[in-house]
Amino acid sequence: MIVRYVGRRVVQAAFVLWLAVTLAFVAMQLTPGDPAQALLAASGATPEEVAARRARLGLDDPLPVQYVRYLSDLLRGNLGQSWLHGRPVGRMILEQLPPTLELALAAMAIGVGVGLGLGLLGAVRQRSWLDTAVTSVAVVSLSTPTSWSGILAILLFSLHLGWLPSTGAGDLRHLVLPALVLGFALSGSVARLVRARVVEVMGEPFVLAARARGLPAWRVLFIHALRAAFAPALTVVALQFGFLLGGAVVTESVFARRGLGRLAVEAILWQDLPVVRGIVVFGALAYILVNLAADLALGWLDPRLREKPA
Amino acid sequence: MKPFFPSAIRHAPFAMLHSPFSILLLLNLLSNLLAGCSAPPPGGRIVYGLTLAPSGLDPHVNASSELGIPLTSVYDTLVYRDSATGEFVPGLAERWEASGDGLVYTFYLRQGVTFHDGTPFNAEAVRFNLERITSADLASQKARFMLGPYERAEVVDEYTARIYLSEPFAPFLDSLSQVYLGLASPTAVKQWGADYQLHQVGSGPFVFAEYVPGDHLLLRRNPDYAWGPPVYGHKKAQLEEIEFRIFTDPATRSPALETGEADVVGEIPPQDAARLKESADFRIEAIPIPGVSLMFFMNTARPPLDDVRVRQALLYGTDRPAIISAVFRDTSPVAYGPLAAATFGYEPAVRQIAAYDPARGAALLDEAGWSDSDGDGIRDRDGAPLVLDLYLMGWGNMPEVGELLAAQWASLGVGVKSQVVSYPEALQVAGEGQHHLIPFNLSGSDPDILRKFFHSQASFNWSKVSDAELDGWLEEAARTSDQEERAALYSQVQLRAMDQALVVPIRDYVNLNGVNNRVQGLRFDSQGWFPWLIDVTLENP
Repeated sequence: MIVRYVGRRVVQAAFVLWLAVTLAFVAMQLTPGDPAQALLAASGATPEEVAARRARLGLDDPLPVQYVRYLSDLLRGNLGQSWLHGRPVGRMILEQLPPTLELALAAMAIGVGVGLGLGLLGAVRQRSWLDTAVTSVAVVSLSTPTSWSGILAILLFSLHLGWLPSTGAGDLRHLVLPALVLGFALSGSVARLVRARVVEVMGEPFVLAARARGLPAWRVLFIHALRAAFAPALTVVALQFGFLLGGAVVTESVFARRGLGRLAVEAILWQDLPVVRGIVVFGALAYILVNLAADLALGWLDPRLREKPA
Repeated sequence: MKPFFPSAIRHAPFAMLHSPFSILLLLNLLSNLLAGCSAPPPGGRIVYGLTLAPSGLDPHVNASSELGIPLTSVYDTLVYRDSATGEFVPGLAERWEASGDGLVYTFYLRQGVTFHDGTPFNAEAVRFNLERITSADLASQKARFMLGPYERAEVVDEYTARIYLSEPFAPFLDSLSQVYLGLASPTAVKQWGADYQLHQVGSGPFVFAEYVPGDHLLLRRNPDYAWGPPVYGHKKAQLEEIEFRIFTDPATRSPALETGEADVVGEIPPQDAARLKESADFRIEAIPIPGVSLMFFMNTARPPLDDVRVRQALLYGTDRPAIISAVFRDTSPVAYGPLAAATFGYEPAVRQIAAYDPARGAALLDEAGWSDSDGDGIRDRDGAPLVLDLYLMGWGNMPEVGELLAAQWASLGVGVKSQVVSYPEALQVAGEGQHHLIPFNLSGSDPDILRKFFHSQASFNWSKVSDAELDGWLEEAARTSDQEERAALYSQVQLRAMDQALVVPIRDYVNLNGVNNRVQGLRFDSQGWFPWLIDVTLENP
């Protein structure tokens, strides 16, 4: 049973991975412009020199040939060299991974912590002013772009109060502001989900039964209701975490942090295909693994799911 | 924009990230009142803010404009260019001579120079570097092309190197004076291979100490430096350490200065510059950048812009000072011709051509047969409205300038359909001539840069001009070494471009450097972009 389940997941993962890299390839082909021209136009290279570079990058070959080479390189674990940087793509991604991971983890922790707290508060004090406040905060969190909240945070905490450095990476102090800004942006969806789910669960017969048996209110809330609310929250969180591992472009830019997001944007704008492919593969893998972990955790949280593996 | 490199590269990656400037401004004002000046960091150390994560940092390979800011102080070049006089002065070459036909350059090298790793500098190192730059495997994006018709290099003796060209190339010394052709330690290049850019070794006043891609770059003083060019004010670097950090988002640059996280930051947005100027703790050093001004190329091959009267009408209908004031807060000089006033060979007579005169513009359009027959505010002829396709790129304030142009031309009765595209797409659109108008600017200290724009075969011939005389002047000026003759030829090119109304020039590029007042002695090379960091000192280190 478990072997078949794992086998199915692996096949699914491979399919998703193939789809992602193929889509990336197609999207890059559809983008107007010629990468060789973009690299050399400003240098005063002659049309012949640009043509020679194009041939060198393999851009003259028919598309099916390029596609097969793209996939076969990938299968052999060869991510190739960046056209723009002239360096190995694998190493470039590994270099940008630690700051990306650090920010993603910290932002997730804050997002989930704040979101869970707010959601519970709203659910427990349903339709009170507190509930309204929670809902408002969630709306603000969901609708505030990090480019804006980031600048506000810099102005308040760095420039005005002087508590924290506004830019760069390094020690924990550098992480606080970007993680807060990104974490706050994530907390809204978590808070709304948790609130809705807890409200729903609190009305269910097993909670009523638990209360009727005279269990203390906190126990009902934290053991029964929260456990039920946790499952859907986990799914959302896993999706967002996978997304964050691909890099938080805007936050990275505002706080002058390095990371995969900035690398990806640069590669896309320059049509640096090897780097785009590398980041897509990495992002897809991260997504798949995080969601697999979430599914397994859900199975543990909710025994009913073990019978019918998704 | 820095030498030979489009601002595409400078701003494109983050052009889509807009910041709430007005609120920012307000809060900044507030914060200014409340925040004090931060304490100076210990020792002789400054933080220098770059505005773009360099797209690769090897000057022989990469074309990034930002790489030259730190690396000009890591590498020495054979010659230097005095930014005050434009003259070439000795660097690692004590003297040099060119053959009468301009095909052979002989460089007599300075003795006793060592790279930071102890490797001695000699003629073999010169040959090794030139061979590296020109090898197909390195896939150079810029340095190779700066060498023009380079053929080969020869070691004459330990301290004499000879370079052979296949045809005369006037910008050759200017190229050799730039960091892209800086000399690297052959030992280090061989040792590190593909990873050389993380471990660069030159012979300059600062040593490349640490580089974390996308995050920071650390330079440390070279205590053995004793072979600086006469343009340097000091024998050795005054600062112990310089850390380069990257502030891609324009809105974060002045806060970085004001929080004390950076001591120098380039490309401060004009509205922030105006505010910093008022402050007692900071100053703005506005450095004019030579090269090609920001200008809109008019596609002379696509009707109705094939009619010179229509093109001239657009020029007369453009109120440049109004644009400079609104978009650039009067921080940039108005451009009247294709070459920035800070460039060698600039022809001041272009200032007399086509000053703002909307009545004259309207008369020219009438004469060309365009009138508003249906009363919709847009002129038409034979039933076709006078509407032009304007392509813009998202950086360098091009969208704002485009918007004002459209408004100014609307009062002439000319409609504009504008669209913002990426740099690769702009190259394609303009290459294929789908545009009526498209802007660009490019920096460079040699006027040969005009050849990239107005020669019929040029990659940026976005005016689609095909003028045998222009081609001839540009080719001749690239070959002749007589500076006066060159200046005369470039003068003709500039006047022709404006007489034929090939472009609508807007502004000369100026780099607004925000500088903490404790930093003294900041000077820039003849490109305008690259600081001579050896002379930088701190008031209270």
